[in-house]
Amino acid sequence: MIIVNNRDKVEWHEGMTVQDVLDAMGYDYALITVTVEGTLVPEDDYGTQTVPDGSNVGLFHLAHGG
Amino acid sequence: MADGKINITINGIEASVQKGSYLLQALRDNGVAVPTLCHHKDLTPSGTCRLCVVEVEQRGKKKLVTSCNFPVRGEIAVDTESERVKTHRRVLAEMYLGRWPNVPLIQEVAAICGATDKEKYRSELTDENPKACILCTHCVRACDEFVKERILDFAGRGIKRHLTMPFGEVDPHCINCTSCAYVCPTGAIEIVDDMNNPVNPQMIRDFGMKINAEMATLDKDQCRMREVGTANIVDVMDAYDLLPVHNYKFGSHPDTKNIDSKILKAKYFTQDHPDGCWKGCSMACAKAVDGFELRTGPYKGDRVVVDGPEYETSAAGANMGCFDADFIVEWNFYCDTYGIDTISFGTCMAFVMEAFEAGVITTEHTGGKELKFGATEAVMECMHEIAAGEGFGVEVGQGIRYLKEKWIRELGADADFLQDIGMEVKGLEYSEYVSKESLAQQAGYTMAVKGPQHDEAWLIFMDMVNNQIPTFEDKADALYYYPLWRTWFGLHGLCKLIWNDIVPLSNKDYEPQVAAKVPDHVEDFFRFYEGMTGEPLDEEGMLAQSARVHNLQRVMTRMLGYGTRKDDMPPFRAVGPVTAEEYESRAERYDKQLEELAGFDMKGKSTEEKMKAIREYRMDQYNRVVDAAYDRRGWTRNGVPKIERLRELGIDIPELVEIIKDDQE
Repeated sequence: MIIVNNRDKVEWHEGMTVQDVLDAMGYDYALITVTVEGTLVPEDDYGTQTVPDGSNVGLFHLAHGG
Repeated sequence: MADGKINITINGIEASVQKGSYLLQALRDNGVAVPTLCHHKDLTPSGTCRLCVVEVEQRGKKKLVTSCNFPVRGEIAVDTESERVKTHRRVLAEMYLGRWPNVPLIQEVAAICGATDKEKYRSELTDENPKACILCTHCVRACDEFVKERILDFAGRGIKRHLTMPFGEVDPHCINCTSCAYVCPTGAIEIVDDMNNPVNPQMIRDFGMKINAEMATLDKDQCRMREVGTANIVDVMDAYDLLPVHNYKFGSHPDTKNIDSKILKAKYFTQDHPDGCWKGCSMACAKAVDGFELRTGPYKGDRVVVDGPEYETSAAGANMGCFDADFIVEWNFYCDTYGIDTISFGTCMAFVMEAFEAGVITTEHTGGKELKFGATEAVMECMHEIAAGEGFGVEVGQGIRYLKEKWIRELGADADFLQDIGMEVKGLEYSEYVSKESLAQQAGYTMAVKGPQHDEAWLIFMDMVNNQIPTFEDKADALYYYPLWRTWFGLHGLCKLIWNDIVPLSNKDYEPQVAAKVPDHVEDFFRFYEGMTGEPLDEEGMLAQSARVHNLQRVMTRMLGYGTRKDDMPPFRAVGPVTAEEYESRAERYDKQLEELAGFDMKGKSTEEKMKAIREYRMDQYNRVVDAAYDRRGWTRNGVPKIERLRELGIDIPELVEIIKDDQE
């Protein structure tokens, strides 16, 4: 199990990447900043960086509009 | 090999580069210098000057290519210093030197290429001006790519090629962005007129060009403001259950696809050029529909230009259950033509429709109109009545607060129900976002001085999705900073869209709490302010400027008879589910919240009991966040600025103190 934004729970699986977490949450917003255990993940690495079981993942949407 | 990488050889040394990247950039990333005159980091490579040629060997064949626009797709061996390359560069540089011998950039690049003889290619075409145009195409590409205009281009062929505007005249479509002068490497294009007499024009141009470059390179992968304008938000809000549907009952709908940015782009938008609302702005977010044939009203049958639709207009369509783009464009046109706000009308009509469906009013009261959700023809009819001052339109045109009071007074309607579903605060209709799942946004709406508009605070993602401001104090901090920051735009007559509807790549290097403020763009606005006024500004200074005005506005609101806690109370629809239908539609969410956060025992409870419990829980939370926000702002628990706060801000003048002195704790 991993925790997203200190609140939401996502089932973990072997080899789970940052992109898998985004997909599991249904997040395809263009302006998202990702952290794993507080460390920023570059966008180019979303598809390759794996997320260990029990991680705290931050998927932060930047506001726009208005 | 990592995803997207490819091995190439550069001057005999193996290197790994991004597949599809341009060779010049790959060479520079690997520390290999290549001379060029026409390359610019923010412009599409053009291969114009041909100085960046290198020798590429692929499948045993060697050829010279311009590296700036050569995409690396396969394994290649690159030689940047072969005799063939060096000769090619030197001869070209000698030609440039013969044509423009005194331009410093030409001299510099010629020296790198080993060209020193200014006389070899000297001719009657030689231009001795040190600021001569060298035909690099920077300005032509900037005009096209930054601003989406083609005002500058070349005329003449061969040696007579020269830079000009259409027919050699100043083109009225020029938006004065100064991009051309900014990217000109020789000074051939100069700015001769600085409007508004800024203290430091260069500082302002630096700011503007940074935004122009970001718009040209980043917008297509971010908010797509140039492509579809604010209509992009329709898609996002529907995906996150935040698009108001049926008077804010729900946050998404299967038919949103009929009014989203994709359909507007595919079938309606015809204009995507800068509309000149701000001199020099290249965001070009305003869209328009050309040749739209009206089906109703005094202009029925006419083909017209429609300015829009923007997000709020499409979203108001969803709020009325009208998922019909033809209707939205027509309604948009008549709102503009009649001078009616699409938000106020849309939200008011959504309220009317819910009241109609709930039996509060009938066709007897609407002049025979079946005003159910989705009744596009009845909406248009009502709109024309508003403009003509006839029928039921006269009543709708006076807004939700008026209708609530009238129906309670004259029809004996259920006052609590109308208060719950009438989406207005301080007499102003809500703008088009569902705030139920964001406590901070609930207060952001209600505490906004003019009424529930999101232009003081749009905190939904920070709060609901990101969970970045979990405590009441965190939310209160956001309700302190963001309204003051957004007030600052209004104070200076600036548009906020270039603050966070385009975000620099560097923003991902900041911790999320900092990133939410888009700090580099905040700094840019401070530099812009300094460029105009000559006075430096920082966050503390900005907050002080805004807080003075914001508190003054709140005192004036008090003077007008509003401005206390009761005026900051939301209709419950903005906070949680009013009807069983609403609760059941998101039952999993509400049940979970009741159980996990409110500690409510769910066993054997009916929907009505759960609705009562969630109302109590959410209103308690709402009141707590308002308490925290009032404290943070230096206001009393009744929402009135404390006299000591006015003193801190230097606005404790007797006239203002007199207005609020009886409200002090």
